[in-house]
Amino acid sequence: MKRIVAVIRRELGIWRRRPIYLVGSVAVMAFCGIFYLTLLKDGVPSGLPIGVVDYDNSTLTRNFISQLDATQLGKVVRYDDFRQAREDMQKGQITSVCVLPEGMFADVQAQRQPEFTFYVNNLYFLGGSLAYKDILTMINLTSGAVQREVLRMKGVNEHSIMGRIRPVDVDVHLIGNPTMNYGAYLANMMLPGVLEMVIIIIVIYSLGTELKYGTSRHLLDTSGGSVTTAVAGKLALYTLLFTALGFSLVFLLYRWMGFRLAGSIWNMLIGMLLLVLSSEAVGVLIIGCVPVLRFALSIGALFSVFAFSMTGFTLPVEAMPAGVQGLACMFPLRHYYLFYVQEGIFGTGFAGWHMQTVYMLMFLLLPPLVLPRLKRAYVNLNFPKK
Amino acid sequence: MKENYIRLWLRDFWGIFTHELKTIFCDGGVLIIFFVAGLGYPLLYNLVYRNGILEDTPIAVVDRADCSESRRYIRKVDATRELSVAYRCTDMEQARRLMEERKVNGIIYFPADFGERLARMETAKLSVYADMSSFLYYKNLLMGSEFVMLDEVGQIQVERYSAAGFTGQESSQLVKAIPYGENLPYNRTFSYSIFLISAILLLIVQQVMFYGMSLLAGTAREENRSFATLPDSLHGRGVSRVVFGRGAAYWLLFMGLGIYIACIVPALCGFPQRGSYRDIVVLLMFFVTDCVFFCSAWSTFITRRESVFVLLLFMSPVLLFLTGFSWPTSAFPQFWKWFSYLFPSTFGCQAFININTAGCDLPMASMHLRALTLQAVIYYFLSCAAIYAENHVIRKRNAA
Repeated sequence: MKRIVAVIRRELGIWRRRPIYLVGSVAVMAFCGIFYLTLLKDGVPSGLPIGVVDYDNSTLTRNFISQLDATQLGKVVRYDDFRQAREDMQKGQITSVCVLPEGMFADVQAQRQPEFTFYVNNLYFLGGSLAYKDILTMINLTSGAVQREVLRMKGVNEHSIMGRIRPVDVDVHLIGNPTMNYGAYLANMMLPGVLEMVIIIIVIYSLGTELKYGTSRHLLDTSGGSVTTAVAGKLALYTLLFTALGFSLVFLLYRWMGFRLAGSIWNMLIGMLLLVLSSEAVGVLIIGCVPVLRFALSIGALFSVFAFSMTGFTLPVEAMPAGVQGLACMFPLRHYYLFYVQEGIFGTGFAGWHMQTVYMLMFLLLPPLVLPRLKRAYVNLNFPKK
Repeated sequence: MKENYIRLWLRDFWGIFTHELKTIFCDGGVLIIFFVAGLGYPLLYNLVYRNGILEDTPIAVVDRADCSESRRYIRKVDATRELSVAYRCTDMEQARRLMEERKVNGIIYFPADFGERLARMETAKLSVYADMSSFLYYKNLLMGSEFVMLDEVGQIQVERYSAAGFTGQESSQLVKAIPYGENLPYNRTFSYSIFLISAILLLIVQQVMFYGMSLLAGTAREENRSFATLPDSLHGRGVSRVVFGRGAAYWLLFMGLGIYIACIVPALCGFPQRGSYRDIVVLLMFFVTDCVFFCSAWSTFITRRESVFVLLLFMSPVLLFLTGFSWPTSAFPQFWKWFSYLFPSTFGCQAFININTAGCDLPMASMHLRALTLQAVIYYFLSCAAIYAENHVIRKRNAA
């Protein structure tokens, strides 16, 4: 125990001399927190530029354009010809182009069914999908309005008109994110992902620099020759630091920002603690397997960048190729995500997420496997330093 | 005299250029980053996002109405590409439990009066519950149920108008008062991979170069050398040949890597390539030049070999968001818009998306190319200034 305290003291001294540890964790998390929460603070983007080419210039088309412009989502940009609009769409300056054909109003009056055409650039995903939805809603409403006029003229009463125009209606309920807040959706996973990245990199760096600068024997002297004590001492300090960061993150997301959480925030803290512990275990595993700082860091970097994709919160894992799906369980962030889905979206509590805690705890079995190897490296210093 | 200067400049340039290439190829860590990450990462992303489309999202159906219309609706939903009816439940409680167990990602609920309302020619409502843990579940649920709804609406309307004495022609004119044609020219199926990979490819070029160059700058510092040493014969007046000489080494390597990432990888993976190769190569020339100066300017701040990973790895996802591939740039807060102008990837990735995937030609990408050029000029002078300052410090230290 005394040894562990000595190792912690030594590590604190390193922190004082080299600010990189605190900058690389606290400052990075602070920057990312500010970045993701301010960039996406609106939740749903508004004022998406939608191009309109109006060849008709009638009351009907002007009405359509002003209604499209009046939606929260869209902002109409007018064009004189289609070519110009198409080029701007290709350049990504507008999300979509609506073409209102010549003689549209007259054709509608005469029931000649004029065709309305629209083009959407969905290479810019969110803007494209939202513009698509917005235009589709608008054109269906306009079509409905035309029907209503005809039915009114035929003398059908208002009550039955609604039944005729809209015989079936869909009521959509969004479980876990009722306002479709894109910012909350992304920040909920991006920020824990950054934390996982920080943990893996810092743990590798902290254990690896001992090798690189040949200070590992001094570390072992401090810990009384036991690599377990040395690693435990270092990790005790880092666990404290990262848990503090993780807990602040949970409170930031679900208290301060007020993102929706179906379950309890205290349970999220359990999930966060497990994410911290399992990510540390992954860090130790990597530096233990490859006791060369630069290789270990490269591997850690590849692993933690890749974790964002393999979590499956954007493209779900079941849509990935079968051979890749199994790999997802190698990433602590994946289990944290599944934990969050149970607690944050469905609020099922322990019954829903207990298996995820088991999986995350299983990561803790990994470091003991590599400690003997790490010890040999620490004692012999027989790996390239550069 | 003039000729002499040019010859000297070229000789120094050549010396620095070959020296830099030697340094790169003698450093295992840098080679790993340049070649394993540079060659492997684009393939890895293509592999993971190979399908890119989520199909047949399992849903549960709670049919309290049990009428022919609701059954028809369910059959149609099951037939859509987006959704597949995995379970039929007797009540919401059961469906909710299935959703919590993640056996289904959505629920469609038909209230008991669904058929009755349709028979009374009123609006019949049905409810859809979407699991928001991934937006693609929501998208599938929304699109699947809305497409079927629009189809059903059309069919029921025709039935009702016929019942009211309209002829077939009249009722179809009414129901489809304004028929519409939708075109999603660049990404017809809303494929996640097409939009993500278009954005990510050039970002890989920039990040790989940045990490590699910073690693070398850090190594040089650790070994008490400096990446910026000027040829001794010059007495500190040869800043431009150092910047160009080092830059040329990276430029050469990364034009090769860039052509691989931007032309060969998409072809290998069957990714849409609507731009011409010539245009892409021209874009790469601008982009790689800009990246070289960008990286040599910023890598001067790196003092130790590995610290770039600890301090700046988190920037990769941040830069990806700053390209505006997901959250639209038109909705960026002002500050982040300006911040994004600091990075070549913001313009490079957008230009690549537009040229490669949306089929722009070069004149249409001129705005982005101009921005890249301006950035390159600014970063060129910044890296000159950095090297000048570095040499100043070194000379002072040597004098002391």
